[in-house]
Amino acid sequence: MSKRPTIVLLPGLLCDASMWDAQRRALEPYADVRIGDFSQLDSIEAMARSALALADGPLVAIGHSMGARVAMEMVRLAPERITKLVLIDTGIDPRRDGEQEKRQELVDLAFAEGMKALADRWLPPMVHLERVADEALLAPLKDMVLRASPEQHQRQIKALLDRPNARLGLAQIACPTLVMVGRHDRWSPLAQHEEMAALIPEAELVVIEDSGHMSLVEQPEQVSQALLRFLGFGNKNDDTHGVATGREEPMDEEAAPDRIPDTPLFDRKRSLRGYRINKMAMGLGDPANREAFKQDESAYLDRFGLTPEEKDAVMTRNWQEMVRLGGNLFFILKISAVDPVRITEIGAHQAGMEHADFLRDRLGKK
Amino acid sequence: MAKLIGGLGTSHVPSIGAALDKGLRDTPDWKAFFDGYIPGQEWVKRHKPDVAVVIFNDHGNTFFLDKVPTFAVGCAEEYRPVDEGWGPRAIAPFKGDVDFSWHFIDTLVENRFDPMICQEIEVDHGLQVPMELFWGKPDAWPVKVVPIFVNVIQYPIPLPSRCYEMGRVLRKAIESYDSDERFVILGTGGLSHQLQGARAGFVNPEADQAFLNDIADNPDKLAGMSREQYVEMFGSEGAELMMWLVMRGAMDPDVVVRHKHYFVPASMTGAGMIVMENRADAASAAAA
Repeated sequence: MSKRPTIVLLPGLLCDASMWDAQRRALEPYADVRIGDFSQLDSIEAMARSALALADGPLVAIGHSMGARVAMEMVRLAPERITKLVLIDTGIDPRRDGEQEKRQELVDLAFAEGMKALADRWLPPMVHLERVADEALLAPLKDMVLRASPEQHQRQIKALLDRPNARLGLAQIACPTLVMVGRHDRWSPLAQHEEMAALIPEAELVVIEDSGHMSLVEQPEQVSQALLRFLGFGNKNDDTHGVATGREEPMDEEAAPDRIPDTPLFDRKRSLRGYRINKMAMGLGDPANREAFKQDESAYLDRFGLTPEEKDAVMTRNWQEMVRLGGNLFFILKISAVDPVRITEIGAHQAGMEHADFLRDRLGKK
Repeated sequence: MAKLIGGLGTSHVPSIGAALDKGLRDTPDWKAFFDGYIPGQEWVKRHKPDVAVVIFNDHGNTFFLDKVPTFAVGCAEEYRPVDEGWGPRAIAPFKGDVDFSWHFIDTLVENRFDPMICQEIEVDHGLQVPMELFWGKPDAWPVKVVPIFVNVIQYPIPLPSRCYEMGRVLRKAIESYDSDERFVILGTGGLSHQLQGARAGFVNPEADQAFLNDIADNPDKLAGMSREQYVEMFGSEGAELMMWLVMRGAMDPDVVVRHKHYFVPASMTGAGMIVMENRADAASAAAA
């Protein structure tokens, strides 16, 4: 048995293994890479089952577009098997009003006028607006569409129209998740991915610059680098600034976190990370909640869905760790209203100093 | 028309309120700090403002992270002290100035500032402490308040220059307000302090002293600084100092400093106070 991790790459509508060429090459030195084939299937669940059958044991699921919906379904079916999840250029909502009619039009077009007509209509909106005439990009994509059949298209459209409401399962995704999107994805926009990243507990968002929906082939290098970093392969980019992380960090450099050493700014990453802890602490503004906290701290923390890690940080009064987990002092300070501790002691703890030394060396007290 | 009679700046450290509540005013840790405010209190007694516009930030007491307004303006009849975890402090509720608040909100929007409008809201130490420092702890406040909440916690926080510009609109609102009321503006927060991270406990007395000079004589420089520079120079929570720029932006370029005070550390913070008048007013008062 190989100790190398198994990665399953999951292509989207009308797409095949060729979409993943660059990423497969980048990942193969580090993992066994399998690629799903959904050409014969007509439901997301069946696609997920077929992908789970590609390997035994734990695996990393990486899906693009429809393939990412398959990946989320895999988590639903076999959460214990998915160690990491990557969702690229995708969505979470079920069928929209009017969607069926629009999709049926394309199904009919493929049967009436052939796959070339479908490719000409379907492909341009999938890529960056400025790249709709880029033959070097589009020719291989057209070839790929021509390898598919109107029947495959019809089956996959049925699967998409009947897709589950993936939104409902996001909060239950327990594995580390990378959400990735082309900044100019017109089909499944950035905002949708920001929302997904916010709803998935352990998610990070990476924006692929200068890319539309087909980020795998529009910006293969950016996508591969982000995957390598997220999966901890090659250590090529321990520093997240090495890849296009886009608005995951504040746009303007001046507000970028930790550019000032040991000074965590409460940016959106920390705010999302610390939401539960801060909400729990905010609750202590209410006397009834303070009483509940005193009576049974663990039960009070559970009410706010704190993870075991977060609970431990609070219950051991580990201020440094609470801040690392996104806790903001203004909120978590309320814990000191229930279980008194001086703010200078909280400061000393974070600075890693004895209280007396902290007062003297930092605050200049005699 | 209403008149702006002064711009006040002060820290709003919660420990100041706690020290007063616990009767620690004259202890060695605090006496020099509180004594430094006496001239400011006397200035207020002498000038008897009718309305205090207070620029401050909520500290996770009234707003949670679910809704974070960049700028919010209170237009309530009354503002009660909020329970920050220790129970509400024994402070008289603050009386609002509903008419002016709405006039100010109108003026803001007409000048392309779009604040959150708050008809019912409680206030934390960010407003309480500055009021106590200048007015003491009366049974009923002799002055109405207009709270302006600025988000200086959840990034992106506003630009310092934006706070300064808002001050200009505040001045416009006061001078177009049909009333003979006398206004003071309180810019609050700071000075240098940092509560989070391994740099916790950072204070920068030299930068604080320079700030107290520049806020009077060189406010354009302070308005032109980046948020990062504020954080670097004054600590992550010291970035609150940009709220003083709302007050300063409402004043004339040329001001007279009546009183100034600096003390470090108040709890974990460099603490300071300033009282300024527009030089034009000071000159005409002298001539009269």
